[in-house]
Amino acid sequence: MKNILISSLILLGTMGLASCDEGFDKMNVNPIALTAVEPSYQLNTTIVNTAPSYGNLSYETTIVKQMITPFSGQGSAANFNQDNRSVASGNWNSLYQNNIKELTDVIVKTKDLPAKSNLYNMARIWKAYSFMILTDTYGDIPYSQAGKNYLEGISTPIYDTQESVYSAILTELESASAALDASKAKVSTDLLYDGDVTKWKRFGFSLLLRASMRLSKVNPAKSAEYVAKAVAGGLMQSNADNAIIRHNSNFANPIGSQLNGGQSAFFYLAEDFVEFLKKANDPRLESIAVRYVGATSGAQQIESRANRTKDVQIGAPLGYDNTTITVAVKEKKLASLWDYSQLDRTRVGGLNAPSFLVTYSQTQLLLAEAVHRKWTTGTASTLFSNGIKAHMQQFASYGTSSSISEATINAYLLANTLTPGKELEEINTQYWVSSFLVGPESWANFRRSGFPVLKPNSFPGSDLKTEPFIRRLTYVDAELNVNKDNVQKAIERQGANTMDTRIWWDKK
Amino acid sequence: MKKKQPINATYGILLFLLLTWQPSHSQILAMVQQTKQSETSKNDSKKALGSILVDLEGIYRANIFFELNTVENIFVNPKIISSGLSLEENLENILKPLGLTYKKNNKTSYTITIDNIYKKTSTINYAPTTSNESEQKLGPQVKGRVLDENGSGLPGLSILIKGTNRGTSTDINGSFQLEVPTSETVLVFKYLGYETKEVIVGNQTNLEISLKPENKSLTEVVVTALGIKKQSKSVGYATATVGTDEMTLNRTANFMNALQGKMAGVNITPLGSGPAGTSKIRIRGQSSFGGNNSPLIVVNGVPIDNTNNGARGDVSEKGSNRTSDGGDGLSSINPDDIEAMTVLKGAAASALYGSRAKDGVIMITTKTRSKGNGISLAYNSNFTSETPLDYTDYQYEYGQGENGIRPTTPFPTSGQWSFGEKFQPGMTQMLFDGVTLPYEPQRNQISQFYRQGYTWTNTLTLTSGGENGGFSLSVANLDNRTILQNSGYDRKTINLGFTQTLSKRLTISGNINYSNEYRKNPPNIAEQDYSPVIIFNMANSMPLSALEKYAEDANGNETVWSRFTNRTNPYFALKRFDNITNDRIFGNLTAKFNFTDWLFIQGRLGQDYYSREQDYNLPTGTQRQVAAPAGFVNGQFVQDSRNVRELNMDFLLGANKTFGSFGVNLNVGGNQMYRRISRHNVFIQDFYTRDLYTIGNGRQRDATYDFSERQVNSIYGSAEVSYKDYLFLSGTVRNDWFSTLSPENRSILYPSVTTSFVFSQAFASALPDWITFGKIRAAYAEVGSDTDVSPYANNLFYGINAQQFPSPAGASQPLGSISGSTVPNSNLRPMRVSEKEVGLELKLFNNSIGLDLTYYDKLSSDQILRAQTSNAGGYLSQLINVGQSRNQGVEMLVSLSPIKSQNFNWNLILNAAYNKTEVLNLGSGVSNNMITVGTADFSGELRQVVGKPMGQLFGFGYMRDAQGRQIFDIGNGRPLRTTDQIAFGSAIPLWVGGITNSFSIKGVEVSFLIDFKLGHKMISGTNHNAWRHGLSKETLVGRDVNYVIGDGVNLNGQVNATKSGVQAYYETVRSQNIAEQFVYDAGLWQLRQIMIGYDLSKFLSKKTPFIKGLRINAVANNVAVIKKWVPNLHPEQFGFPSDNLVGLEATGLPITRNIGFNLNLKF
Repeated sequence: MKNILISSLILLGTMGLASCDEGFDKMNVNPIALTAVEPSYQLNTTIVNTAPSYGNLSYETTIVKQMITPFSGQGSAANFNQDNRSVASGNWNSLYQNNIKELTDVIVKTKDLPAKSNLYNMARIWKAYSFMILTDTYGDIPYSQAGKNYLEGISTPIYDTQESVYSAILTELESASAALDASKAKVSTDLLYDGDVTKWKRFGFSLLLRASMRLSKVNPAKSAEYVAKAVAGGLMQSNADNAIIRHNSNFANPIGSQLNGGQSAFFYLAEDFVEFLKKANDPRLESIAVRYVGATSGAQQIESRANRTKDVQIGAPLGYDNTTITVAVKEKKLASLWDYSQLDRTRVGGLNAPSFLVTYSQTQLLLAEAVHRKWTTGTASTLFSNGIKAHMQQFASYGTSSSISEATINAYLLANTLTPGKELEEINTQYWVSSFLVGPESWANFRRSGFPVLKPNSFPGSDLKTEPFIRRLTYVDAELNVNKDNVQKAIERQGANTMDTRIWWDKK
Repeated sequence: MKKKQPINATYGILLFLLLTWQPSHSQILAMVQQTKQSETSKNDSKKALGSILVDLEGIYRANIFFELNTVENIFVNPKIISSGLSLEENLENILKPLGLTYKKNNKTSYTITIDNIYKKTSTINYAPTTSNESEQKLGPQVKGRVLDENGSGLPGLSILIKGTNRGTSTDINGSFQLEVPTSETVLVFKYLGYETKEVIVGNQTNLEISLKPENKSLTEVVVTALGIKKQSKSVGYATATVGTDEMTLNRTANFMNALQGKMAGVNITPLGSGPAGTSKIRIRGQSSFGGNNSPLIVVNGVPIDNTNNGARGDVSEKGSNRTSDGGDGLSSINPDDIEAMTVLKGAAASALYGSRAKDGVIMITTKTRSKGNGISLAYNSNFTSETPLDYTDYQYEYGQGENGIRPTTPFPTSGQWSFGEKFQPGMTQMLFDGVTLPYEPQRNQISQFYRQGYTWTNTLTLTSGGENGGFSLSVANLDNRTILQNSGYDRKTINLGFTQTLSKRLTISGNINYSNEYRKNPPNIAEQDYSPVIIFNMANSMPLSALEKYAEDANGNETVWSRFTNRTNPYFALKRFDNITNDRIFGNLTAKFNFTDWLFIQGRLGQDYYSREQDYNLPTGTQRQVAAPAGFVNGQFVQDSRNVRELNMDFLLGANKTFGSFGVNLNVGGNQMYRRISRHNVFIQDFYTRDLYTIGNGRQRDATYDFSERQVNSIYGSAEVSYKDYLFLSGTVRNDWFSTLSPENRSILYPSVTTSFVFSQAFASALPDWITFGKIRAAYAEVGSDTDVSPYANNLFYGINAQQFPSPAGASQPLGSISGSTVPNSNLRPMRVSEKEVGLELKLFNNSIGLDLTYYDKLSSDQILRAQTSNAGGYLSQLINVGQSRNQGVEMLVSLSPIKSQNFNWNLILNAAYNKTEVLNLGSGVSNNMITVGTADFSGELRQVVGKPMGQLFGFGYMRDAQGRQIFDIGNGRPLRTTDQIAFGSAIPLWVGGITNSFSIKGVEVSFLIDFKLGHKMISGTNHNAWRHGLSKETLVGRDVNYVIGDGVNLNGQVNATKSGVQAYYETVRSQNIAEQFVYDAGLWQLRQIMIGYDLSKFLSKKTPFIKGLRINAVANNVAVIKKWVPNLHPEQFGFPSDNLVGLEATGLPITRNIGFNLNLKF
């Protein structure tokens, strides 16, 4: 009895200790987590992630005077010409932490797999697109060393000049688009074009056209060179080629979900945008806008007050906060600031409203400008009309109440032909309308082309010192801390880390 | 620190003795029996009553006086004594059948008399009171006086003629007179609290005897690592113990919170997250850069889980902004079950626990049997009320509104802004859908919103004890109502402890603790949503009754009241629910076999298992939420279920033998720790049917399952050699193998060596008398730890989105991505801690002064850092293995007994710890030699900077020119911020300590505790918000003229003359993220606790024979702030348990003042 007890005690004590780390290798393998995933799933994630987000309302769409909120708070940004770092960091954080991180991984994993060459090239195109938004927003950015912390251990990537970034983007878009091959395996899990290689090719070259045109001020020769390459590669042929994020209830439109939630009463259509459309008798206004006539509070913005007709629309002016705006409200004889026109949250501002990233309409308008600049051949006025028409046709995808009839479109086109001598202004102003709600693009094109002609935001107490409009967004605070040496070099090269500093292609 | 002179005068408090104790017999004799065992063996089953009374004196440390005649020739069965009973109970049991009774002279002194009923027939002769003469002469007469160490006479002291039952006692002057048989007679002088002295009478007829105070320090026993009991004097490192009264009388739902300020070097912080929240414990500061530097919790020798479910604690949460505090592992323990608690502070003390003990160990021993024989029942009831305290000092001159305008139209959105108009009599405001209300200050919003809370604890304990063992069984219920409406905490515990000796050599013991905890709606804290932030920023003219009345519209949706839609109406927010149920069972089974009297083996199996279920929602209809698709209502619901199991198996082989002057103690053992966590979680977005928060009713469901396991295998040994019981040298060695680390890094060996030298014993004759006890100690130890490495941290993982995305053709396409934002590292090594400590313990002037000093120097290297990286690399952070930091500090414990007598005692205990932690190295991979470890909710960051104290607060400051003048923007007049974030100092206190004064006055115990935490900074989010919302008094500047011209210059060096709008000016701190304005000294001096207790037993013994003891205590906690530096809040009104968010204050629940009553009944 005693011996049994003793031996069982010793056994109990030494159990598992015989070999002191037996089974540990196996134990430290996660039995349920994935150590690999089909790379095209990652590409899908980045595509959905590129849809303009809520922060796009605070800066980009407000800078170009399409949207406005007079309210201050954490979202105080372009409405007061304020450098609000937490909003300014939106594109940076979202694109580096998602798109660049995932796509770098996808590219490394697919590079040497001939069977995945189409996926490899699609990922290259989307990565170039993501970098374009980043550099357009901030200027010099980490490019060559970006996204490589896990793969190469680069935790503090250097900043590349915007010039070199654009060089690389152009090369990447050109070679990746060209390398897409319909004879090779198609990516069946692709959510953008169902793996349609032709459409991806057109998308890639249309993006190349966009990137080429971006250099029109700073390097027209290179601009022209790449426009030609893009055209030769084959551009989008119709709205069927548009790059669209088709939001649904599980992946709601980020703007729509805000405008349908607690923030619904905070955002208004900007006066300049509404006035332009009104003046031109543009049918698109009726697809976009709603005014809750006589509302004196958010609670009164109810359907029974809704008026979607063109003539009643009154956009909210920039330059005021929610109390000082009373002056402007009185001037227009409105009931309150809640009485201004809004982006219709039931249609274009809806939960399931699609996000149009790169469109046939934009491509036609860019091409019109390229023709006008004689960088390619064609008829500018036709391209101009095509661009407007395609955009008007897009509205059908917001539902029948937004769709614009063929007759209405044609009437508008007849009345709004390209005016000789005002080509650049008219084309780029239409590009502004065509890129409505896609802030990064409409803002970039506004800076590049100088159109539309907008009155600067006159809000007293602007953070801008030398420029009437915000020319770039500032680097994120975290970089000033963890990647200080590299970001300081970029700041020295590019100019102060303020919203006044012009980026490389935004030559004065 | 200034030395305080002991007020040593009043040994003459003998006056009290005079009043309360009146010796009434000529020959009062206290029996003294040095050799109790021999006495028992002589009188097989019965024992002389006198001898039994002497035994009782020993057990209860009391003096019992009796006449020799009274007890002569009476023998009783010694088994009648039960150490589970009180002395009174035992006396009652013994004396009653004998026709005797007792009288209580004072707390520790009793006189035995013949019961009045029998008195008449008694033959005993009572003598006059203060006779110096004896009635019978037996031999030589000896007179004398017995003096204490100060030369005062010791009254009531018993003197025995050795080898007989005869003797006498001293009178009030300490004088005595006695006849002795011969001159060879040896007299034994015995007095409670003093060393017993034997004197040969010889030829002396007038003796003067001096007694030395008993030296407790020589006999004290402490429980050390693995539950090994050691003589306190042999221990070469610092420990701290807490009396059980400290946690049972002063109740907090999490018992650790009651121990604030009571142990040197132990910093305990409640988190302002409600009574059932986490108790943050840090011993000797924090050593690693990881967020969790909590000590290991060991119950009866086996570690238990202390996972921190606090807001932003160890466990991540899904869903929108849930920051309630789900408590920690310690809250499952009912303090009534605790028998003893020891804190092992340094690496040397905890070296045998290895990797998990780098931050010290809290060792809890629970009850396993009654103290004596027999069965007893005790009932304890404690009721504590909790009153929220409001420290705000806001402005009440300008009311709700923005830019100087008060709300005058329906649905104003300025509910959180107080930049309105100046209050004038008769003014009105329009709120909600058009309600017109007076525009006037609402001053008591905090006390109006929060209610009185309470905690009621009831414990019933049944204990039994006998020769071969016993058990202790308790059943307890804790019922708490939290200050937030509809919020509370309920805990039921059952604890069983037992010990049984089966044969002469085998002892089986064990304990099981079952707890069922229910946390009902633990309050969200410290961020904007649903939290006290909303109450603390409420517009100062918002009537709360209206806020409650108009909280929702006809559809049940939240009415707009603030344009910060995430500042949910606090009354609407009550629709939020959060239920946490925790079923937990932990315990262990130990078998110990003694081969001989010097060799044993012990095996132990311990398990901690709990099943935690939680569900919480984001209520439908809050303004902050995104809209639901048509046909659904918005809202979120999360259901979470977790199972955690930790198994510990260990064995220990021990030998203990003496060879002449040398003693040897050897232990060899091994441990296997296995831990497994599994977790199911379902997240629901939007619902079909309103107000039905279930998975089945959900539109979008995202289900996940997490799993992890880890194991640590260890073998260890310790050896101690002692010389003549005053010099001790011991060493330990331990090897750990960690499953979470790579094969080449997973094995680590660490040693410790400690020494203790009791010089007061070694040089007893050479040292002056006033040195009662003296010991120096020194220790060195190394410990390794993998605690900052989670299982599977070596690999990159991927995840697939629960939802698919439709392609243009309508196919559902999967979305995948890399999981996590930290770069994994497969090459992590365990971090290493090496710690040196030296200490000095002194007891002076007969224990009137006690001193315990420790100096330590702790180097933590190879730390595993989650270092922030440039997110342009794709990841937010990476795990690196380079951090090095050093803690240095001094701990001191000074105890003084300025007045010590039987009727009045005054004890003063001062403990203080100074700790400084310097960051030494962060490796070459980080830029600027600093890493950011935490970011505040409102403004500021916490960083580790090489060469600076740990936990540096950083944030943007106000830009200043070379002359220190503040610079304002020339265009808009608003303050400009510094280009870089600047350092404001460390958020970790340098000084932590407390001063306890306790008095015992005729049985009434009174004590009060003042505690302090000093030398650290905080960035206050509460003040940040009070400022930008126009509640701070400082924001009144400029209101009258509606502009502010900042005092300073512009960038051109000209005096600033640009007018800024008032609101815009004060809101700059938010848009520019300026922290400087809200940096405060976080220090606190607090009257933490007052306690009054009285033992009512003596009034009860006759009338209610079934009640054997009754004690009542009253306690007040958080009585008053003596000094603080931060305005508008209490420095402890904090929120986050993580060390990486320390000092970044974001509003927590108001601190409460707790007033409680404790009733202890024994049957």
